[in-house]
Amino acid sequence: MATKTDVDDDIGGYINGSIPTVDPRRAILGSAGIAGFLTLWWAASLVQPTYVLPSPAAVGETFYAEAASGEMATAVGQSVRHWIPGAVIGTTLGVAAGVGLAWSSLADDISAPIVRTLRPVPPLALIGFAIAWFGINHAGAAFIIAVGAFWINFYAAYGGVEGVSEDLLDVARSLGVEGDFELLRSVVVPAASPEILTGIRTGIGRCWMLVVASEIFGVPGIGRRILRASNNLQVDVVIAYILVLSLLFLLVDVTFRAAQRRVLAWR
Amino acid sequence: MAVNDDERGTEKGGRSTDSGHETATAARVQVSDIAKHYEGNEGPIRALEGVSFDVSDGEFVCLVGPSGCGKTTMFRIIAGLESATAGDVFLNDERVDGPTSDMGVVFQEYHLFPWRTVRGNVAFGLEKSDVAAEERRARVERLVELVGLEGFGDSYPKELSGGMKQRVAIARALAVDPDLLLMDEPFGAVDAQTREMLQTELLEIWRETGKTVLFVTHDVEEAVKLADRIVVMAKEPGRVREVIDVDLPRPRARSDAKFGRYYERVLGLIRGERGTPDV
Repeated sequence: MATKTDVDDDIGGYINGSIPTVDPRRAILGSAGIAGFLTLWWAASLVQPTYVLPSPAAVGETFYAEAASGEMATAVGQSVRHWIPGAVIGTTLGVAAGVGLAWSSLADDISAPIVRTLRPVPPLALIGFAIAWFGINHAGAAFIIAVGAFWINFYAAYGGVEGVSEDLLDVARSLGVEGDFELLRSVVVPAASPEILTGIRTGIGRCWMLVVASEIFGVPGIGRRILRASNNLQVDVVIAYILVLSLLFLLVDVTFRAAQRRVLAWR
Repeated sequence: MAVNDDERGTEKGGRSTDSGHETATAARVQVSDIAKHYEGNEGPIRALEGVSFDVSDGEFVCLVGPSGCGKTTMFRIIAGLESATAGDVFLNDERVDGPTSDMGVVFQEYHLFPWRTVRGNVAFGLEKSDVAAEERRARVERLVELVGLEGFGDSYPKELSGGMKQRVAIARALAVDPDLLLMDEPFGAVDAQTREMLQTELLEIWRETGKTVLFVTHDVEEAVKLADRIVVMAKEPGRVREVIDVDLPRPRARSDAKFGRYYERVLGLIRGERGTPDV
């Protein structure tokens, strides 16, 4: 099995083929793509005022200034303070609920109407609850992020557990495994782990998107910085912080993906 | 069509020479009047009807029959994975009412745990037991060796051939030291050469461990090659047609005339021919 370590391949996982570690063709084409994009951007910025589209160089300068002043580190630190608890809590509860409901038809039947009612509610619609229950603080923002992570993980884990072969459970039972907990631990969760891990990975990415949304009501962080800059028409700052989000996402995604590959070496 | 009781009569008659044997050694498995009915699209289906036979301690018994005779259903009922509509299965005089680690179960499709290595698969059943870690490791090594997989202990199932996978499945089933090895067409998914090798190895394992083996197959030749006794089933409804003692020394060769006669006889019974000659 070819290992996939190409960074391009990790952006959102668009490309699923097996790609060797270093593919010169892809590296060259990718660089050409970036160069082309920057050129177009630069050309467009020549005929637009700065508050509509700053040049790539201007964004670079702003990025550097924000990093040098420590503003960037502060914003990242603030966002991380609700991104981590939100992602961890949402993921944990989502996986647990997905596994539990897929395993127990009783719990599934009881909760089905509630699940179907709550499922289409966008996390942002819950901002009122975030403020009322937690306040305008990291806990409130973490709540919004957790809701987003919850559903992705819920459905991934649910689907994974539903797909576990009944035959493996028969084998485990015939080898003396008894009780729901033991079957879940020794067969169901490991068998569903590829789907669960894919859910976690997708969920983590979604949490980065929700970071911006969750700061809409005043919690400080990268999102707040983007929103404030938008109001002041500081498009260069907006783009600089969008880049920060992208880089953070990439960093976490590549790390998680490497871990995932190790855990799923058996596949 | 003769009713089942008559066939039981035939069986008893056939075994009259060692009738004392039955009382001397406890029958490990007793299948007693098992019936299994389903609700099908066109009315009820009688998958099994009045199936009775037993397997003695240390015996190698093959269950053969045409496809659709309910062999696999019978296997699942004995394993406690499915419940019967009527009748009971006893293992060492205890009624089987669910899966138990007293039986080592081997399926045609291996059903290895893909996330575990060969060692991990073999050790699976031991992790629930109170066997000490050191003894557990030693037992796993012994079993991996017994099934001829030295050097593959750390391989994952995806890296193994079909025959190797089935060896792992057999080692895994043996790990919990079951009284009975219950196998459903275990060599049905491997090529002919591998099958022959696995058959020989299974007989060796059987000799070495002294386990009782109940082996389901549709392959008559396989049954004649392996079994002490063959339970021949018929279909519609699934029932025992006859039980045949195979009185041939091992290793058994197809080319042997007596082997051929057993083969013809069992095949005749499966095809539903009446009045097939005794061997």
